[in-house]
Amino acid sequence: MNEGGSEPLILVFSTNTISDPGIDFTGLMHLHYPTRTVIVRLPCSSMVRPQFVLYALTHGFDGVFIAADGPDCPYLAAACVDITSQRMAEAQNLLKENGIKPERLAMAGICSVCAEPFVRSIKAFYDRIKDLGKVEIGEV
Amino acid sequence: MSEEELRIGVYVCHCGGNISDYVDVKKVVEAIKGEPGVVVAKDVMFACSDSSQNEIINDVKEHNLNRVVVASCSPKLHELTFRETVKRAGLNPYLYYHANIREHVSWAHTDTREGATEKAIRHVRAAIAYVRNAKPLEPIRQKTMHAVLVIGGGIAGLRAALDLSRTGLNVYLVERSPFLGGRTPQLYRVYPDGRRGADIVKDLVSELIRRDNVAIYTNAEIKSFSGYIGNFEVEVEIKPRYIKVPYDEIKEKIKELPDEIPDEFNYGLTKRKVIYYPYEGAFPRIPVLDLDHCSDVETIKELLGDAVDLEQKPETVKLKVGAVIVATGFDPYEPKEGEFGYGRQGVVTLPQLHRLMDLGNGELKLNGREIRDVAFVYCVGSRQKKSSEEEEVNEYCSRYCCNAAMYISSLLMEQGIRTYHIFRDIRTYGRHERMYDEVSRKGGIFIKYNEDEPPEIEEEGDKLLLKVKDLLTAGEQLEIPVDLVVLVTGMVPRKTPELDELLRISRGRDRFYVEVHPKLRPVETAIGGIFIAGACQAPRDICETLSSASAAASKAATVTLRDVIELEPFKAEVDPNICDLSKKCIEICPYEAIEIKNYEGIGEKAWVNKAKCMGCGACVAVCPTEAIQLNGLTNEQIRAMIEAAGKEVII
Amino acid sequence: MSVKSWYERKYYGEIEDLPEEEYDVLVIGGGIAGIQAALDLGDMGFKVVLVEKEPSIGGFMYKLSKTFPTMDCASCIATPRMAQVFHHPMIDLLIYSEVEEIEKKGEGDFRVKVLEKPRFVDSSRCTGCGQCELACPVIVPHEYDWGLAGRKAVYIPFDTAVPRIAVVDLDHCIYCGQCERACPTEPPSIDFTQVPKIHHLKVGAIIIATGFHLFDARLKENYHFGEYPNVIHAMHMDRLLAPTRPYHAILRPSDGKEPNNIAYILCVGSRDKTVNNPNCSQICCMYSIKQAQLIMGALPLADVTIYYIDIRAFGKAFEEFYQQAKDMGIMLVKGRVAKIEQKENGDLIVWYEDIENGGKLCKAEHDLVVLSVGLLPNKEIANVFKGQKLEVDDVGWIKPVDENANPVETSIRGVFAAGTALGPKDIPDSVIEGGAAAMQCAAYLSEVRGRH
Repeated sequence: MNEGGSEPLILVFSTNTISDPGIDFTGLMHLHYPTRTVIVRLPCSSMVRPQFVLYALTHGFDGVFIAADGPDCPYLAAACVDITSQRMAEAQNLLKENGIKPERLAMAGICSVCAEPFVRSIKAFYDRIKDLGKVEIGEV
Repeated sequence: MSEEELRIGVYVCHCGGNISDYVDVKKVVEAIKGEPGVVVAKDVMFACSDSSQNEIINDVKEHNLNRVVVASCSPKLHELTFRETVKRAGLNPYLYYHANIREHVSWAHTDTREGATEKAIRHVRAAIAYVRNAKPLEPIRQKTMHAVLVIGGGIAGLRAALDLSRTGLNVYLVERSPFLGGRTPQLYRVYPDGRRGADIVKDLVSELIRRDNVAIYTNAEIKSFSGYIGNFEVEVEIKPRYIKVPYDEIKEKIKELPDEIPDEFNYGLTKRKVIYYPYEGAFPRIPVLDLDHCSDVETIKELLGDAVDLEQKPETVKLKVGAVIVATGFDPYEPKEGEFGYGRQGVVTLPQLHRLMDLGNGELKLNGREIRDVAFVYCVGSRQKKSSEEEEVNEYCSRYCCNAAMYISSLLMEQGIRTYHIFRDIRTYGRHERMYDEVSRKGGIFIKYNEDEPPEIEEEGDKLLLKVKDLLTAGEQLEIPVDLVVLVTGMVPRKTPELDELLRISRGRDRFYVEVHPKLRPVETAIGGIFIAGACQAPRDICETLSSASAAASKAATVTLRDVIELEPFKAEVDPNICDLSKKCIEICPYEAIEIKNYEGIGEKAWVNKAKCMGCGACVAVCPTEAIQLNGLTNEQIRAMIEAAGKEVII
Repeated sequence: MSVKSWYERKYYGEIEDLPEEEYDVLVIGGGIAGIQAALDLGDMGFKVVLVEKEPSIGGFMYKLSKTFPTMDCASCIATPRMAQVFHHPMIDLLIYSEVEEIEKKGEGDFRVKVLEKPRFVDSSRCTGCGQCELACPVIVPHEYDWGLAGRKAVYIPFDTAVPRIAVVDLDHCIYCGQCERACPTEPPSIDFTQVPKIHHLKVGAIIIATGFHLFDARLKENYHFGEYPNVIHAMHMDRLLAPTRPYHAILRPSDGKEPNNIAYILCVGSRDKTVNNPNCSQICCMYSIKQAQLIMGALPLADVTIYYIDIRAFGKAFEEFYQQAKDMGIMLVKGRVAKIEQKENGDLIVWYEDIENGGKLCKAEHDLVVLSVGLLPNKEIANVFKGQKLEVDDVGWIKPVDENANPVETSIRGVFAAGTALGPKDIPDSVIEGGAAAMQCAAYLSEVRGRH
């Protein structure tokens, strides 16, 4: 196994009702994306505590990807985008304060049948993190 | 719980090859065997099969397992199955976690067995970390009121109220206007059976008022609304009618009053009196004094004596209900001045045509003049093009209008009237195609116009001249003299901003109420216990409105026929010992589920009303002290999952 | 011939009679409308039995790719519902079973005979592992894929079938016994000794949700369906577009080439008196537009032309969906197609009346033609009522007694109908009617039982 090599490890936060089924759908379509992606499901992307992001980046992960619901969110509807964006901004500040590049956190709206968009955005994010290399405290 | 020794069973499914063809299931089992607390680790051919479920149950008993993980397909498919299995084994069903290694792993990574296996291991480790920190949870059991509030007294509300009352539930029907029936009584005759709209309403109302478990409030509005599924508290304000006796008793006297106010019931085609009873058979039978338009109260008093009571005051009733059906209906689209010639003499809307025909007892006359040629212009106020983002247009099709226009045309043609149909697409769907066919056969003339070149309507002598380019004859410019132009107007949702705000239910881009899921939950709103019916959700005809009303009633009955409803336990909860009363959770909660409570011995801290909490977790992310957490997915669990999944995997 | 007499002939009368069972409501048909009705009634606290004639519940919807206008995947939204009804404590299922006879004894009292066909697989043991399928040497066209792919004589109906249990198709079985030997359970779940069973049910009310069948496109002879290989019907295309599709690609049948110029012909078997169906089928415009959008996604270079008479995008968010299709570059031609001719290479010449250009007869070449076939009623259900007449309309759809008062109530009091048993309609309307029928059942039962 190429453990500790150049391949990054990504944490994906998905949401129970929309983006997690969207990632399911990606599998159902047999579309490929990097395997070094771990998916943890939450009810809603607004639940992502900035500290969870920092925790992930200091516990083995090199990037955190929030697969959000967008305005279709069953809990917060259109407000979900704003609320989650706010958490994202806080999380990026927190990363900076801890010497971690804020680009290691990204968000995209993934609908329940957004297989191709998910593959596109997770691949792009993976490549970006790969370019950034393994996470290091004090990289900024 | 933490004192108890953890004994975890982990089952990794082959899914008959769906997983094991791409993931080395044996290696996954091998890799997690040594995880702390794992007592049983197995691969199974089909975890969901009865035999595998029984195997899990036996293992729980034999090895005293107190946590279970199944790694198989998506949790959407079998999470509930295994929670049930675990429950059958005598464990709390929430001491279970479902790792997705099919949709999220094997199927998505058919290209690399090694990579897929590594990812599967991470997912299973995260699941183990979850259950290691899991606490038993109990569903929230909520007592429910055996009563339903129906908002809107049109046919949707009437149908829903009647259905529910027949099952023995108490029903409160609240109608904002002074009379029941909504828009339907304004219809002269409806397709496909030709019944009078007023008769449809009369039949429903007469059945409803016979029932002793139904309370009807007209001239009434919702003033306050609180609570949650099973237990809503509502205040209804009933405005005074100022008249105490039925219409029949004062009919003759009312006739003496002048006609002075445009009659809404006739869309302004006629005038009405300040004492108002819209049509023969309207319910309630008691007229209303329109005090806002009344200039001469004294005359009224003199005329009616004891029948009038100006001292009447608004009354408020307090209701407790378990569910709510919103059936606030629609308004016909009102064309702008000049839109397709609207405002000109002889240009009316389809609803106005219904009134004209009703007033003429089926005969169509305009200002006493006989009508020989009628042109119907379709898609007025529907299928509109957006020219800028800000503009509020109706991009949707209003569904019922083609059918309705076609039906009324066939009635006109029976009287020897010629009809022209200036259309974009004729959408007489389903059986209604027959009406289109009939109108064509009888000689109705069909002209297709381009949305970018709408027909123009000009006055010519005492007739109207309709100019249009006909796409069916390769764009020939036609000029058709007609006596009457009927604008086939669509539906717009009834505007009820105060009600939307009180109930907190939302509208879509088309401004109709939006359902949770158009296919799976077509009559449910995002707020548990509040359902939508009829044309407030989307344009619909009478038949479709009645079906959706019964469907909403059905959902309301699933809540209110039971004594207790069970809600999933995934709700936020505050630890008052840690809460610093930052109030950030209160600010962010979209459901107003969090309030301040005085905890004994601790003082004022945040508190979650679990019946209102939907479990989104938005509050969790903003709490400065981690005092508020989600049951079933605590911060500790999330951190444990991250840590477990981030660990190195050595295969 | 009734199913029962078919089995009687085949089994020389050996049929197991079961003792009477009592339920509040019988739901006939396990499609989305029947499932919704059963779930609502179950949630209200009524005891329900759901009868499905196929070896899995799910009805028509699970065969679809995505659904208009929201484009969510049909099997993904249908599957959880199927699981829910399967696990519901108040709902029993009789799968692979057909209603033979219904007799009304009085209000709230119906006696029903249901024939449960033998699966020849013991459902208590079968895990649905599929080993029997692999072992079986017989291949026949699979109904699930409209014959685009094959299945074995012993087979699991489809991937997400509920229940996911094998079934033996006796019409094609050659009795070689390989499935029995391959079955990993002990003893093998394959059981050729199973016999048909008659269930005797006493129920209080009935919901008919027996759905529809597709128009047989062969009846439109000038389109040469069944003769020209590259003339397919729209449900073939839906399978080709589904995530669970047979070849993981859109291929035309004659030579397996990827089509790049596809024609849709609407109103095939609808709005057409020559085939005795003057009705519009209500969903074909939208499913065609949906498929056209999916094709644009799957084959970005392909041209899609829809020959239509009127585009009936009338439901919630349909018009917006239609406009979106136009914006994507799907071509729409208002014109009836007169005939189709086949070229030597399998391409097709479509002759059509170009209505917006003076109605002249034009021709266009396409390499695949999709017929948007209409919906027709399943007429058998009307024949099972003994002594009472279930009214149907002139096409054969169940006729509500008074559609402007109670659109789901049939001519027999206590018998309700939902979904496409009442006429063509889309999924949301079918689900709504499922709920409406459940409500009417509940009200009827409460009344006849004197609860209120």
